[in-house]
Amino acid sequence: MEAKRAWRRWASAGAATILAAAVAAPAATWAAGRPAVHRSGSSVTLLETGSTLLYPLFNLWVPAYTHTHPGVKITTAATGSGTGISEATSGAVQIGASDAYLPPAHPSTLMNIPLAISAQQVNYNVPGLNGVHLKLSGPVLAGIYTGRIKTWNAAPIRALNPGVKLPAHAIVPLRRADASGDTFIFTQYLTFSAGKAWPAGYGTSVSWPALPSLVAEPGNSGMVSGLKSIPYSVAYVGVSYLNETNAAHLGEAKLENRAGNFVLPVAATIETAAKARVGQTPPDEALSLVYAPGKDAYPIINYEYAIVSQKQASAAVAAAVRSFLTWALTVGNGERFLSQVHFQPLPPAIVKMSKAQIAKVR
Amino acid sequence: MRGERADRLYRAGVGLLAGAVPVALGAIAVFVLVDALPALRYMGLGFWTGTQWNLGNQYGGTTASQNGVVAAAGATFGILPYILGTLLTSAVALAVALPLGVGAALFLSEYAPPRLRLWLSSLVELLAGVPSVVYGLWGLAVVVPAVAGGIGPWLSAALGFIPFLRGPVGTGLGLLSAGLVLAVMVLPLIAATARDAMQQTPRALREGAVALGLTRWEAIAGVVLPTARPAIFGAAILALGRALGETMAVLMVSGGSINLLPTNLYGPVNTLAAVIASQLDAAFTDATHMALHALAGIALTLFVISLVVNGTARLIVRREGAA
Repeated sequence: MEAKRAWRRWASAGAATILAAAVAAPAATWAAGRPAVHRSGSSVTLLETGSTLLYPLFNLWVPAYTHTHPGVKITTAATGSGTGISEATSGAVQIGASDAYLPPAHPSTLMNIPLAISAQQVNYNVPGLNGVHLKLSGPVLAGIYTGRIKTWNAAPIRALNPGVKLPAHAIVPLRRADASGDTFIFTQYLTFSAGKAWPAGYGTSVSWPALPSLVAEPGNSGMVSGLKSIPYSVAYVGVSYLNETNAAHLGEAKLENRAGNFVLPVAATIETAAKARVGQTPPDEALSLVYAPGKDAYPIINYEYAIVSQKQASAAVAAAVRSFLTWALTVGNGERFLSQVHFQPLPPAIVKMSKAQIAKVR
Repeated sequence: MRGERADRLYRAGVGLLAGAVPVALGAIAVFVLVDALPALRYMGLGFWTGTQWNLGNQYGGTTASQNGVVAAAGATFGILPYILGTLLTSAVALAVALPLGVGAALFLSEYAPPRLRLWLSSLVELLAGVPSVVYGLWGLAVVVPAVAGGIGPWLSAALGFIPFLRGPVGTGLGLLSAGLVLAVMVLPLIAATARDAMQQTPRALREGAVALGLTRWEAIAGVVLPTARPAIFGAAILALGRALGETMAVLMVSGGSINLLPTNLYGPVNTLAAVIASQLDAAFTDATHMALHALAGIALTLFVISLVVNGTARLIVRREGAA
């Protein structure tokens, strides 16, 4: 009977654990209300979280900035754009990093401020073909992600790649498990280019087609390791992970643009696409750059945003936010930072608009 | 006199502390229920029977009204795949961990030489302290490839006449891998509890069995196991509870399916806890807040499943004890 009592004790402890597991996740975030600003003396700490695509750049920016601005400390975290948006909204962080702009219905004090221009690659791991740039299009990718195109040697892929010996192996499409700006721009490409053939629309987290072969991976790093470990997989990966995808000898697709040409995400094709679109940027700077017109335009490019609230906890914090973001747009947009993550600098007109938004941070 | 008063004060104090537990439990239950209500109204019974999960079009700026509550256009919240995923991964975990755990306990309690017993017992208890993200990583590095390259194809070939065990095995990320990782996570709980219970078999009973001329195995089967049975059963239910609520490790090896009912033992699944964790951030961008209410609905469902599991276990153990 001693034993029985022992397990009862275990049982109550177990029940508490389950309850905690059931409710802790949402409760913790709901409770994470107001700003976590730590100030000691004259120094200010800023918290940044969000986009895993922007994360490598922030890790280059922060040491350089804090070196010349010793009064400011900045912590960074790669948690996905969805977290960046939600934590900047709740005030848990001062800067939320996102590859996606805010939805139309968002708190009026929240702004999306472009910091640079990025692109997204479509990578694959097809043994024997990773050295070849396979040609893929929006409709073909929509077919792969809905399950209408099942194998690498399916007719629609063969038609785009004449002369390439494609294997009869099943395709394993990967998607992001977390709420992601990469999912946002990838599904925008599918929505804009494939029309009705892509039913799920676009968003940071979409209702993916019910496909048994579809696998979810956390973050851009998860996508890269998924590609490495799963042969015959295909995934969308931020261009800031180009060094990693090259090191892993993954294939990189040439994507079909609006003009019907197949292009790689290199400086020239990203710039061409940006030039075609940035003129339409509205004052709040929420604009999709995906599927831009132009003979050589790369189809999946985007603004990398800082999601920032106009109302900060104190004048000192607001000043630090303004100072850092302005630095990011000027010094931080320099070649020595952006080239390492394969981003492109903002055009002068957009820098001006971003600065106008930064001035509203109080 | 003074001592008596201190005694009363002390009793009131601990009473208050003990009372805090049910109060906190009740508060959580009420909080989750209230927060889930709009989503339950929006979906009705379809919340539990539906298979489609869609946060709706966050970027269209349009909303849809249903049963008097508003959500983003196109939003629908059906959690049947995640209920099934939760129950199936836990069932696989228990089916694997229970025989292993009881076997390990038998060896530790009845057969192992004292020094080895000490070593192995602490090792088993050490397993319980490993963070779940480490189990997840181990699952990705070891279990998933093993399922994809060995266990899966073998099971599918040997037992493929059972439809649920038939391939395709796919990438290995899925139900079987999640179940196996969970099995290792709950194994120490079962092994440690069962070992304790076996060791507590009254000496008189053991001696009686030996005096009757029973062999070692007969004594174990006839005396030790029946004595320990309620404790083993309790440990199994605790293990089930842990498996039902485990989030991180499952998130890493389950393949994270959406809108998809499990079709075989190997394909991607998703669980209630993992869906909450992976959908939370997207839900926060929903201006209608309905997505958050739907996640609260998932938490409520998990809460109820856990309560039912624990309640049933207690009932059964009580009946066993009485018999």
